[in-house]
Amino acid sequence: MIAYNHKWLDALLTKDAAREWHKKGLLSDEKWQTIQEQHPSNFYSPNVFIRIGLAIFCMILLFAALGLAFLFMEPDSSTSAALFSLFWGTVWIVLLESWAIRSARHFGSGIDDMLLYAGASLIIGSLWNLLPYDSEPLMYCCIAWPFLLAAGIRYGDRLAAAATYCCALLIVLLVVNKIPKLALYLLPFAGMAFSAAAWFFARNGQRRYHWRHWSGGLAVVELLTLVSFYASGNYWVVQQAGLELFGLEQAPLAWFFWAFTFAVPALYIFLGLRRKDRFMLDIGLGCVAAMVFTYRYYFHVMPLAWAAATGGAVLLATAYFSIRYLRKNAGAYTYDAGTEKSLLQEAEVQVIAHTVGGQTTAVPVKKDTFGGGQFGGGGASGEF
Amino acid sequence: MEGQSWGKALENREWLKMLIFVKKMNRHILNNLLRQELIAPEDAGEIAQYEATKPFSLHWELKTLLYLGVLLINAGLGYLIYENIDSIGHAALIALIGAVSAGCFWYVVRRRQPFSRGEVESPTPYYDYILLLGCLTFLLMEGYWQYQYGIFGTRYGLATFIPMVLFFGLAYRFDHRGVLSLGITALASWLGVTVTPRDLLSQNDFNSQTIVQTGVFLGALLTAVPFLCERWEFKKHFSPTYLNFGVHILMVSCLAGMMALDHPVIYFPLLCCAVGFFTWYASSRASFYFLTVAVLYGYIGTTWLIFRYSPSFDFTFYLFYFIVSCAGIIFFLTNHKRFFKTQTP
Repeated sequence: MIAYNHKWLDALLTKDAAREWHKKGLLSDEKWQTIQEQHPSNFYSPNVFIRIGLAIFCMILLFAALGLAFLFMEPDSSTSAALFSLFWGTVWIVLLESWAIRSARHFGSGIDDMLLYAGASLIIGSLWNLLPYDSEPLMYCCIAWPFLLAAGIRYGDRLAAAATYCCALLIVLLVVNKIPKLALYLLPFAGMAFSAAAWFFARNGQRRYHWRHWSGGLAVVELLTLVSFYASGNYWVVQQAGLELFGLEQAPLAWFFWAFTFAVPALYIFLGLRRKDRFMLDIGLGCVAAMVFTYRYYFHVMPLAWAAATGGAVLLATAYFSIRYLRKNAGAYTYDAGTEKSLLQEAEVQVIAHTVGGQTTAVPVKKDTFGGGQFGGGGASGEF
Repeated sequence: MEGQSWGKALENREWLKMLIFVKKMNRHILNNLLRQELIAPEDAGEIAQYEATKPFSLHWELKTLLYLGVLLINAGLGYLIYENIDSIGHAALIALIGAVSAGCFWYVVRRRQPFSRGEVESPTPYYDYILLLGCLTFLLMEGYWQYQYGIFGTRYGLATFIPMVLFFGLAYRFDHRGVLSLGITALASWLGVTVTPRDLLSQNDFNSQTIVQTGVFLGALLTAVPFLCERWEFKKHFSPTYLNFGVHILMVSCLAGMMALDHPVIYFPLLCCAVGFFTWYASSRASFYFLTVAVLYGYIGTTWLIFRYSPSFDFTFYLFYFIVSCAGIIFFLTNHKRFFKTQTP
């Protein structure tokens, strides 16, 4: 099923697990050495920055090649343009299969990613091009979905998995939207039901040993289902969708959606902590922010500046007391960082450099230019 | 932590783990290793015990909350004075901001660790964030004073010079790389350039000769500092911060000199030197970030030069150029180890 050499993929999984045990002192150095020797994997998987560079240059190369082919073949009608891109999409998938994966042993190198994305989008785009001009969005989604699914399964690609899920969700919503009269009531619940079903599917899929090579893609789907579940019942989303699709100022069942807006983040955080489910916890924290924005959109309780300052103080205090509690009460939860410490530390420094670094630069050069930039800071100055 | 450690961490595929977070597979892996007799049964028991009782780390969630809290407080306070600048309450507000800043610095000084030339572990988990909040609110207050009372008069340089000295001092004394990058941006604005990675292109007028020259000088300076620090064994772990600013300022200034000022005769050789230097640095320290960045900037410069001086506009030629050059760079990047045979593993 999967295009990559699955013995090598298994070896990577094994080594990842064994590396952690070795770091924690549960495996001796010799054992770790033998495990590495017994599980060889000969993929070409470069460092993430090289991967980014390779992806960029591969993309330019593919565009230029396509442009050159276009100049020479000169497809003149829309059908021939579709056939042209279908042909080149197929060429790139064949190149990906036979050269990048089979002979050059690429795995997550930027080149195989880019060949897959370029090939898949060319094929899907060519089929879209063949559709009659006035086709519905549903048609487009239905055509794209099988190809996205195939890409996700065949190459275990995370982006393809995410696209497959989003496409499927869109198909469900577009179909439900066609039901006369009931669509308004059914849409949010259809979104919730589909997200919940997909969540169970993704979670159980990750537990299956036979599906181990797809666990990355399924994890991404799990993450997205949590987001789409909350979004389906969030009052702001429901109200805006009602306004947009049905011209309703006030969504029906407002009390239910308000309750949903407040209850689900709490539920996510509670369950995330209880079940030690990091996805649920992190999405829950994000949903709290969405909840605050939703509430402030309809009720202006406090001026923006005060809200930001007090909100920040509340966050700081919450984090402070949680850390204090965790450091005093060792147990199932901890403040100690895991093995990823060094990488995330670096990411954090980068984030600081990008977000607050700009503050020093806008110290006034002329008195009258003193303005927004000086007090700006990060993030929170957007829409509340 | 050495600067290269995150490169190493990336290489060890730890980023994959970080993205996936799933460890349900480990039971199967353990069984397989037992069956292959690569793990002794008593070890396996311990590992199973560890997997079952592994504590759930809330480290990054809480750190993110701390950081967001600092950002929100700073943005909120800043917006508050901005809104109330001419109203009666602003004296109270500025007193509040001053109190926050002073409180932060008081905490930082009271809980300080002894100075060290190496890396210093923060005394408490919140320490770094409190210091950052103190620095940011100090900036707010200073900007307000200058606006309201013009304490620096027309000597605008002083308004950036004071925070620069303060931030560099704090960064070195309390070992904080976030404050160091604040200090570097203050240094740059003292020299007259905007250098945040995000604003590097959007907020500078690269048509001005002085700005380009200052940029080249500043970039070269920031690139040179880490080497002096490493020779003197003084805060070596600050190197990546300096180099990251240095590489972008230097390369963008060279490109601006070529494109906006149209002086490729001076700036293209300079760009080549910079690209060569960072490629050498990347290969000697196995830092793939700088390799990719140097190659990208070099490619942009070379491509611009070829298009600028190619005799006639020929679309086919350009496409051929892209195909050949990209293929060449892909070959270089995939075989970069072969090009740097001298490097120590």
